[in-house]
Amino acid sequence: MIEVIKPGLETSIQDYPGRIGYWAQGFPPSGPMDSWSFRLANLLVGNPADAAGLECQFVGPTLKFNAAMVLAICGADMKPTLDSKPVPMWESIAVAAGQTLALSFTTLGARAYIAVAGGIDTPPWLGSRSTFHKAGVGGMEGHALKTGQMVPVGKGEGKPGRKVKPEARPILATDRVWTVEVVPGPNDDWIDDVGHERFLSSDWKLSSKSDRTGFRLEGPQWTFTPKATNKAPEHGSEPSNIIDQGYPVGAINLCGQTPIILVNDGPSMGGFINPYTVPSASFWKLGQAKPAEILRFKSVSVEEAQALRRKIDGVCSESSVL
Amino acid sequence: MIYSEPKFLPGGDRFVLIEFGNEMNLELNFMAQGLATAIVEQKTKGIVETAPCFASLLVHYDPDQIPFRELQKEMMALIRALGPSDDIVLDSRLFYLPTMYRDPWTRACVEDYCNKITKKELDPEFIARVNGLADADQFVRVHSGTEYWVASLGFWPGLPFMMALDPRCVITAPKYNPPRTWTPQGTVGMGGASTAIYPVATPGGYQIFARTPVPIWDTEKRFPVFHDSIVLFRAGDRVKFVPIGKEEFEFIEAKVKERTYIYNVIEYQKFSVRNYKAWVNILDNSKRF
Repeated sequence: MIEVIKPGLETSIQDYPGRIGYWAQGFPPSGPMDSWSFRLANLLVGNPADAAGLECQFVGPTLKFNAAMVLAICGADMKPTLDSKPVPMWESIAVAAGQTLALSFTTLGARAYIAVAGGIDTPPWLGSRSTFHKAGVGGMEGHALKTGQMVPVGKGEGKPGRKVKPEARPILATDRVWTVEVVPGPNDDWIDDVGHERFLSSDWKLSSKSDRTGFRLEGPQWTFTPKATNKAPEHGSEPSNIIDQGYPVGAINLCGQTPIILVNDGPSMGGFINPYTVPSASFWKLGQAKPAEILRFKSVSVEEAQALRRKIDGVCSESSVL
Repeated sequence: MIYSEPKFLPGGDRFVLIEFGNEMNLELNFMAQGLATAIVEQKTKGIVETAPCFASLLVHYDPDQIPFRELQKEMMALIRALGPSDDIVLDSRLFYLPTMYRDPWTRACVEDYCNKITKKELDPEFIARVNGLADADQFVRVHSGTEYWVASLGFWPGLPFMMALDPRCVITAPKYNPPRTWTPQGTVGMGGASTAIYPVATPGGYQIFARTPVPIWDTEKRFPVFHDSIVLFRAGDRVKFVPIGKEEFEFIEAKVKERTYIYNVIEYQKFSVRNYKAWVNILDNSKRF
């Protein structure tokens, strides 16, 4: 068991790839936003890739262990300490019963991941332990960790001292600017050439009104093709309105003039257009971007996005461990 | 319009939206659901899941198992094999849902919106007026006079988007602008030609006019009807709203609370698009209930 001394800003139980197969009922996948760091953390402690771990957002938790365990911390740098002494990241470490792990404010990146040998062992809900806050399901009582909770841990035997090769780690931007790949579509033909050019050449500020359901972007105005204005009334009155349609995870959803990237806990359908979609291989960048940081978008083809995904899947393997 | 060839619109590296047309039309939803059924029956390799919507089907696939081009080819073959939509026959359960129209709770919600956000005509009266109906009483007769077709689920887990099957009961309503900040759980509302039920208290944009005491999702699985799913409906179900008064509402609410409420579900029927169209053809659409 792990006792929650301080929960941090929003520390939640997640597993990878999350709650898959319920999109038609409106349940999102949830799961870690930066699945690259998450998978590496699991790998370090000898867990299967789908074992549940902790996602810590902006400010990490303080946790006390009631038994000896092996754990690993990857992702954002929250200056982790064990009984007040610094401990390395991207490396499996042994903790003894009674010791306390503390993560503080992030200095680089937005989300840190803690994996424990054996995995977090809360009851799965619809096939996954991932927390879906909005509906209050999964994880611990459906929400982020709270002070005083005892988090159950499964049986596992990890080895301390295993490290992720430096070249296998995601590079967390230090200049507060992220270049995020996007694939045009499904509704790219609703935006005119000038609108596309403006989207791909502008700086987009990540709004503080962002969470695991959606990342709001602040930037210039959008302009549309005649398709957006000359349409049947059931589409709705705004140019960005369309007959309710299914939303891909990662869709850049245009609500009026505000683009919102629909991320892990986002809605499955709705009545706004999605001119672009962020492919799965670029989600780790969204997961590590902080509010007020800048996103720039780079258009790639479906095939390029799939190749990127295969590349990251290859990196998330034993070959990346020293 | 219904496209002569469906459009394959990519959604990143693992989704594709197959769009059958660009209007809200039952025919397009039958095609989306027909394709979803065919994918399950054919066990197409690499398809993770599908989600039908009014005029389209979203397909979630595994690009390591099936490349985009091959997926497109496989889907086209399935669509061609479906044949005309008349041949589509879908499993369809029928739910009788006790519902109080013009109830005090949605009225209080609309009044709160008028006081705090912006003044508007009460929703039942407004919908009656914009659809040329005599009054709110006729609106209730018309709205409750048809079975509704569950076209898809989404926005919130378990929230059904439904369309009237009886053309004499088709009415439309614009959405709220700006949207409401809250809606009571179990509220029935409509926007465009779509009717929805709010599974829990959430913000919303539909015109609202009724409430059901019957839970349409249940994370604790308190009722047998939720044994294999925590949401009540799936696409292809039908819903019939049964108007009730306040006393009946409170009676059912108490039954739900003590977990003895019995869901009224018909499970032996199939929905034949051909039979449905034949029925629609003999109706006099100029007459309203």
